[in-house]
Amino acid sequence: MTAPKLGTVQPSEGGPSVIFEEVSKFYGEVLGVNRVTLNIPPGITSLVGPNGSGKTTLMNLMTGLIFPDHGRILMRGISPRDPEALMRITGYATQYDTAPRWATGFTFITTGLLLYGYSRTEAEEKAWKALERLSLTDAANRKVAAYSKGMRQRVRLAQAIAHDPDVVILDEPLNGLDPLVRAETIDMFRAWAAQGKHVIISSHVLQEVDVVSDQVVLIANGMIVAEGRIRTVRDEIQEHPSQYIVRCRDRNASGVAALLFAEEHITEIKLNDDRLGMLVMTRDREQFARALGRIALDGHRIESVVPADENVDALYEYLIGGES
Amino acid sequence: MTPRSLSGRARALGVARARQAWTIAKIELRRAFFAKRSFWVYGLALLPSVIFFGHGLEAKFRTERLTRRGVISAALIDSVAVGESIDDVKKRLGKPAGESWSTRSRRVRQKTGNAGATTNVIEPTVDARYVRLNIIRPSYSGEPVARIYEFEIYGPDGRVNLALNRPITGSIPCSADEGPEKAVNGSVAGGQSDRWCARDWPFFLQVDLGAVRPVTRFVVKHASAGGENEEADTREFNIQLSNEGKTFTTVASSTGAGFVEQRTEIRDITYFDGRRAARLLFIDGKLQRRDVYRPLDFEEDRAIFAGIFQYFYLRLAIFFGCLGIFMYLFRGEMSNRTLHFWFLAPSRREVLLAGKYAAGLIASAAIFGGGALLAIAAMIWPHDPVEVQAYWNAGGMGHVFWYAAAAALGCVGYGSVFLAVGLYVRNPIIPAAVLLAWEGAAGVLPHALQKMSVLYYVQSLCPVPAPIDDDVPTLIRLLAAPAAPASRPGAILGLLLLTAFVLWIASLAVRRMQISYGAEA
Repeated sequence: MTAPKLGTVQPSEGGPSVIFEEVSKFYGEVLGVNRVTLNIPPGITSLVGPNGSGKTTLMNLMTGLIFPDHGRILMRGISPRDPEALMRITGYATQYDTAPRWATGFTFITTGLLLYGYSRTEAEEKAWKALERLSLTDAANRKVAAYSKGMRQRVRLAQAIAHDPDVVILDEPLNGLDPLVRAETIDMFRAWAAQGKHVIISSHVLQEVDVVSDQVVLIANGMIVAEGRIRTVRDEIQEHPSQYIVRCRDRNASGVAALLFAEEHITEIKLNDDRLGMLVMTRDREQFARALGRIALDGHRIESVVPADENVDALYEYLIGGES
Repeated sequence: MTPRSLSGRARALGVARARQAWTIAKIELRRAFFAKRSFWVYGLALLPSVIFFGHGLEAKFRTERLTRRGVISAALIDSVAVGESIDDVKKRLGKPAGESWSTRSRRVRQKTGNAGATTNVIEPTVDARYVRLNIIRPSYSGEPVARIYEFEIYGPDGRVNLALNRPITGSIPCSADEGPEKAVNGSVAGGQSDRWCARDWPFFLQVDLGAVRPVTRFVVKHASAGGENEEADTREFNIQLSNEGKTFTTVASSTGAGFVEQRTEIRDITYFDGRRAARLLFIDGKLQRRDVYRPLDFEEDRAIFAGIFQYFYLRLAIFFGCLGIFMYLFRGEMSNRTLHFWFLAPSRREVLLAGKYAAGLIASAAIFGGGALLAIAAMIWPHDPVEVQAYWNAGGMGHVFWYAAAAALGCVGYGSVFLAVGLYVRNPIIPAAVLLAWEGAAGVLPHALQKMSVLYYVQSLCPVPAPIDDDVPTLIRLLAAPAAPASRPGAILGLLLLTAFVLWIASLAVRRMQISYGAEA
């Protein structure tokens, strides 16, 4: 490997792919990931698996937060042991819900950008742009510690993408986002993928990400169960309706229900007795999210949307063929 | 690629990394200066200043008070000699600037009387034939032995001892030649065989005067009258009279001497000549001690400063201050779960280490170097400007510089050590204890090992050796001062080499470091 250079990146060996060769990581006696071999081309890739299956471990390995015990990792030709070169092309939003005590959303991102060698003006410009992308400009000058959970999630996302990386790694990025922002975020992922970037995201809910992904990597117990463009898997999932609990304000759940029922992908709606909530079954999560967005824009006040599919794990086990 | 452009690139890379380290340092300064732990770091740094400021304030007040009460000439102060009476001194020197008066009292045993003899007089005279001496408590020491050298009885004429050589009875004597008759033989000078001695209760002597006579005065000569220890004197007795030898009447009793208060008068008088104060201690009116001292003694204060700087500031304050600042540069971010942000920055781990170390160094050097300068200022402040000027002229500025430099270089050394410790060890208590013991014991270690301690170098930089009293045991003397101090350039170079070595060890750890905040797998 040539000497690392600040500011310049030369894609070399392995081309623009993220490559894992026989990578294993142990935490003492406990297995983290076992003999993982991957070749991830640019585009949106989802790492899917239940909690504790090794998704975060893979992401931490990609970014050099932890090092493999065996095997080799190359991120577009760069070793994760060379953060000077790697982090220039990589952005990673971890799941650690923390930020420095002193930081406001704006200073948090600006400070990070200063380390890339940008001048203060440039850094502030880029920070502002990133905050704009995630609709955080209103909160930019408040302390991150005072943000809501969803806002903290977004500010970490903004921080990861502020330097416009080619490899965007996001740990559970859709967790805690409301449907509107979720749809916007997914659109953003698609735009990046179209530019030839790597967008690597993780989720423990397969239905949440499979439709947006170009590739899906299924993980269980630290091992790759399935990888690639899983058409059949997707078909399988399409047929399996998902459930959401939708809660409205102003006791007009029935009005929202009526609007939703007009959508052809909705298969069933059960209204709650309190006239605030309902259980919705849909065949198409993406269209469901769009429909909710339209309804919300029409002035109906929706308080929350929570996936209520109790069968996710069952489906997941079915998909991975009982190997877990 | 020509070698020239290659070295140019290398230089550009170095500059870029240095700039990154500096950016990191600027961000980390906040943590180093304002961490939650900082308040006691500041406390440690400011303690010597507070001590010297308080001392100066107190000395100024004292001088002020003494001056207000009157200043006398230096010659007069020197003229006072031990043994002079208080009145003479006061007459010559005038009204003192300070005076305190006290008495000390002590309980002492009253003397038995004139050379161990007691006299009891009864008024008016009583007629009696038999005179009995009952001894109730035979000695002061508690020893149950009665010893009487002579028992004399006088009538109204007062000259003739009516008991002399009269028939006498008494308790069983200690030995054959210590019988009751020895108490009426008219002499006390014949040693122990010239006394009556008895060991068995009841202790008594009974004299037969031969006929009823008027008696008025009784003299008892006790053990000390015969040359024995006063402790053997009779403590309590009474005298009884009878006409017929059957019924006795008590006419006199002596409860013995008991205890009395012995009072000593102490006068503590202070005179002041503007610089020196003389403290004169008079006991019962005579000058016993004369202390001449200076309430503000620049030389002494500088020696005290040297001691505080070496024993407290370098060994404890900077040590624990650096522990507080450096140990948590990494450890604190692990517990706050923010360290990964640094690891996800486009910089080498070594650059991060350098940045954090620089931040800790700037903060600790500012805090402790500033603390040292402030303490020197507080130490110098109350003193006479003329003396201070003389000190500056005699290389005082150099002293100040080296104190500040020693404090800052202490931070350089201890900072690197605690930065490394924080990377390897979770709990600071055990490594702190081990390091403190190591640094403390360095003075008695072989020379090669001494060079592995920060204190060895930093102490060599101190401009003034710390004062050690002559009666300090050798071991402590060795612990307190390094056996062979290094030269200044040697000490600085050695310290920097040691620091570089420790930082290299730290860089090994930081390169291998992995984020594991919790059980997240």
